Amino acid sequence: MAINRRQFLIGAGGLAAAATTMGLGACAPGAPSGSQGGGEQGGATTLALAWWGNPTRNKNTEAEIQAFQQANPNITLAGQPGDFASYWDKLATQTAGGQAPDIIQMDMAYISEYGNRGALLDLEKNGADTSKFIEGTVESGKINGQLVGVNAGINSAVIVANPKIFEKAKMDVPDDKTWTWDQLSEVAAEVASKAGVPFGVVYLFGGDPMFGAYLRQNGKELFTEKDVGFEPADAQAWFDLMMKFQKAGGIGTPQQISEEGSPGGGKPIDQSAIVLGKAALQYQNSNQLEALNAASGESLKLLRAPSLAGKATERKAWYKASMLWSASAKTENPEAAVAWINWFANTKEAVDIDKAERGIPPNAELEEYIRPKLSPAQQEVAKFIADIKPELANTPIAPPPGGGKLAEIMFRYETEVLFGRATTAEAAEKFVGEVKSNLTV
Amino acid sequence: MSAISELSTVHRVKAKTPEEKRLRAKEAARDNTAGYLFLLPWLIGLVLIVAGPLIASLYLSFTNYNLLQAPQWIGLENYARMLDDPRLLQSLKVTFIYVIVGVPLQLIVALAIAMLLNEGMKGLAFYRSVFYLPSMLGASVAIVLIWRQMFESDGLVNQVLRLFGIPATTSWIADPKYALWTIVLLHIWTFGSPMVIFLAGLRQIPGMYYEAASVDGASHWAQFRKITLPLLSPIIFFNLVLQIINAFQAFTQAFVISNGTGGPADSTLFYTLYLYERGFGQFQMGYAAAMAWLLVVIIAAFTAINFFFSKYWVFYGD
Amino acid sequence: MTDVQTTLTEEPTLTGPAPQEAIHHRPTWADRTRSVLKHILLIVASLVMIYPLLWMLASSLRPTELIFRTPGLWVNDLYVQNYTEGWYALSYPFGQYIINSFIVVVGAIAGNLFACTLAAYAFARLKFRLRGLWFSIMLLTIMLPFHVVIVPQYIIFNQLGFVNTFVPLILPKFLATDAFFVFLMVQFIRGIPRELDEAARIDGCGHWKIFSRVMLPLMGPAIATTAIFTFIWTWSDFFSPLIYLTEPYAYTVPVALKSFLSATEGSNWGPMFAMSVVTLIPLFLVFLFGQRFLVRGIATTGGK
Repeated sequence: MAINRRQFLIGAGGLAAAATTMGLGACAPGAPSGSQGGGEQGGATTLALAWWGNPTRNKNTEAEIQAFQQANPNITLAGQPGDFASYWDKLATQTAGGQAPDIIQMDMAYISEYGNRGALLDLEKNGADTSKFIEGTVESGKINGQLVGVNAGINSAVIVANPKIFEKAKMDVPDDKTWTWDQLSEVAAEVASKAGVPFGVVYLFGGDPMFGAYLRQNGKELFTEKDVGFEPADAQAWFDLMMKFQKAGGIGTPQQISEEGSPGGGKPIDQSAIVLGKAALQYQNSNQLEALNAASGESLKLLRAPSLAGKATERKAWYKASMLWSASAKTENPEAAVAWINWFANTKEAVDIDKAERGIPPNAELEEYIRPKLSPAQQEVAKFIADIKPELANTPIAPPPGGGKLAEIMFRYETEVLFGRATTAEAAEKFVGEVKSNLTV
Repeated sequence: MSAISELSTVHRVKAKTPEEKRLRAKEAARDNTAGYLFLLPWLIGLVLIVAGPLIASLYLSFTNYNLLQAPQWIGLENYARMLDDPRLLQSLKVTFIYVIVGVPLQLIVALAIAMLLNEGMKGLAFYRSVFYLPSMLGASVAIVLIWRQMFESDGLVNQVLRLFGIPATTSWIADPKYALWTIVLLHIWTFGSPMVIFLAGLRQIPGMYYEAASVDGASHWAQFRKITLPLLSPIIFFNLVLQIINAFQAFTQAFVISNGTGGPADSTLFYTLYLYERGFGQFQMGYAAAMAWLLVVIIAAFTAINFFFSKYWVFYGD
Repeated sequence: MTDVQTTLTEEPTLTGPAPQEAIHHRPTWADRTRSVLKHILLIVASLVMIYPLLWMLASSLRPTELIFRTPGLWVNDLYVQNYTEGWYALSYPFGQYIINSFIVVVGAIAGNLFACTLAAYAFARLKFRLRGLWFSIMLLTIMLPFHVVIVPQYIIFNQLGFVNTFVPLILPKFLATDAFFVFLMVQFIRGIPRELDEAARIDGCGHWKIFSRVMLPLMGPAIATTAIFTFIWTWSDFFSPLIYLTEPYAYTVPVALKSFLSATEGSNWGPMFAMSVVTLIPLFLVFLFGQRFLVRGIATTGGK
């Protein structure tokens, strides 16, 4: 009796496992989806819409959903808000289960993971309209020539300055159109010692955009389509530059640097050094200015990244997508998903609600339309984005699959170097090796 | 695992007469049926919910599975890759230190406090609740923020040290030499769960034993050794086994304190943290599954050793 | 150890309260100083334990932008707006998430108490074929890291159509998948002298009667522990509700609390801490009252 039961149990366990395994296969692109949330009933469609954000963005997005539904009465959107860190765990699990949301707010670090594996819809083919987009803002969403993400807001890597700290040091905020990396090092060291703050500049070396800028000025890139775009020697030069900054006294002690962490992998933005008055300069994305101002109670200034040549026009700047809109390749109603993306990108109703919360609108007409309605900080960002147009070079491609962790790996090896546990040469060698070995192309 | 099956076998008084033997046999059959009936919900759960994912994860460990496309069979490749993965080695080192130092210390603190709080005194309920509080907050944002702040260069810990004339400026949380120890300390500090289990166990010890021992003039220490320890041993054993299992899988606190990076410089890269990074961060769920099964082997070995030695010191009422 | 064993073979009467409460003698000066010292020690230790909570409380009464710029615990002006703001900051009033959490918690407790006691009784007291094997498998199920099981598990519940319901959070508890509690109860039962159920067996009781009339009452502390832990762990569980509950009306408290935070866009710290305090109150109360059962346990149920 027990044996029969056992056989039954083992058999049933095997069945459950088989069902699971079949489920794993079912998520392969092109496989028919099960009971997807977006079922069509009598012409009316319900689509799931996932995004990450804080309560401000959540309120905005809910209002946008309302407005969109009014304009498109036969489409219902079911919102799935989340926070950035856990958003990706959830999305990966849902996608693996064949239940990805129809419309997905996407990030540059993940777009090729999903896009390269056939999980995202080709938007161009399904009628996405980016005809009014400012030059250089569409490319970020292209993977293997397919448009799988539509830029939802323009961003740029900047250095934010706290004028009060410069005042305290009796110094002028430096001229960002002519400064070089070496001058930045001098300024940082001087302002830190004169104003008595731990950091002249913080986050400069921990994030990949600044490394990317440095590489581009040296004729390299972070990534090529299928590989790492730089050599260990380039990484070593970057690490050496960091040590030069550190010895000059511009970026704090190793412990202080490690305590701040890297941008994104460190403290929340409202506890960052510049907010707490501990830093004169800080690397950030331009669309974070408003949050930084609110948290610090100051009005911070946006500065360009430095250049090798001392000429801003040669600094090889680019427009970054702060985030993108993608759609699941398995959505049952591609037209409806693209309808939302087009509505968000190209209508005044959308931009009236969103303003520049997700970044400066990439649609040139809407950018012009909305600029006077923006908050002072957002206006400053919009002006900055417009001002740097002559300094733009090509738009860098999204990191290939497995490349999204570059910044994290880089900061780890930088920490090794700072604490004297590795030379810059050793660290550079290992850093490049690890990034390469993570790529799955 | 045979040690476990042997140990969980109930030792019965041997039957003597044929009559008794017959009764025993009947009883055994009845026990067998009843056993499976009582076990039924668990068995259903095993088949419906637990076994499938368990077997699936074993299968996935032999595949290349990026979550977005169907898994591809690659045989032992994941396991082979694990052999020369320096970060895997680092994560094992971090986890072993944490288990070997953190678990015993936490259990000793939990037992000591539980015994202190087992006595009748004023404000007992309050003290118990307060001592459980950190565990209740668990890895909530507040705990993690405050923990980071406490161990920063200008944090509370250094301020207290300075009060005693020690010029401390080290950032304990940011230096790769010390960061792991702050998490070990956090682990010890959240001793609430084993404490509560110890408390419950202490309540099960009949008071009469202590009374008799007191009358005989036994000291507190003798009472602890001769009564408390042996009678509490099943519970101590439980806490030891489970805390080791849990500590090997330690994730949340390390995750939130290092923002998921295991930093600074991988000094707090716990095994499951690395596993998670591989699985969800780098979309290498096949590799993560292989890592998971290596961990299962390690934990199972520890558990088997625990069960093996338990017969020398764990005393059961049955 | 041997002398305890001999003591135990005598019929124990489980009536004695804890010894320290039983022995009455006139307190001496030494006793009093000892008691005072103990309380001082405990109060100092309590402060160490309670500091984060106090900080959280203080932070919940400060405007968000001052929280990380103000050291210490002293609050000058009580900024109670955090509480009203926090309550209404998300898609639904915060009470919705508290109700959701309560539903899940109550279901989980009922499930664990039902299924784990049954399984534990079988493992601890009944002799059945392959018991050792099943027991090993049960332990094995808690050794596998959660992160590699969640995707296959999600696939199962998705195919059963249970995503965005509370079923994936409650049903497993009714099927004793929390091996932690099964093992906990096994250890407790095995600490109970076998003579007690042996006596009931001789009286002709079946296993159900022995279980319900003899064992369950004796398992008071284990049951209380299970209930308390299930409450607290389910209440603060984040990952499962995150994965299984997709739409905001179904979110539980931890998922809702996370929506206040955004590392890159700026967070509503004040309202988040305010709601954390609000949701901590039920936890603290449950423990404060629940631990009484740990105190009584055997003393009240074993006999009068």
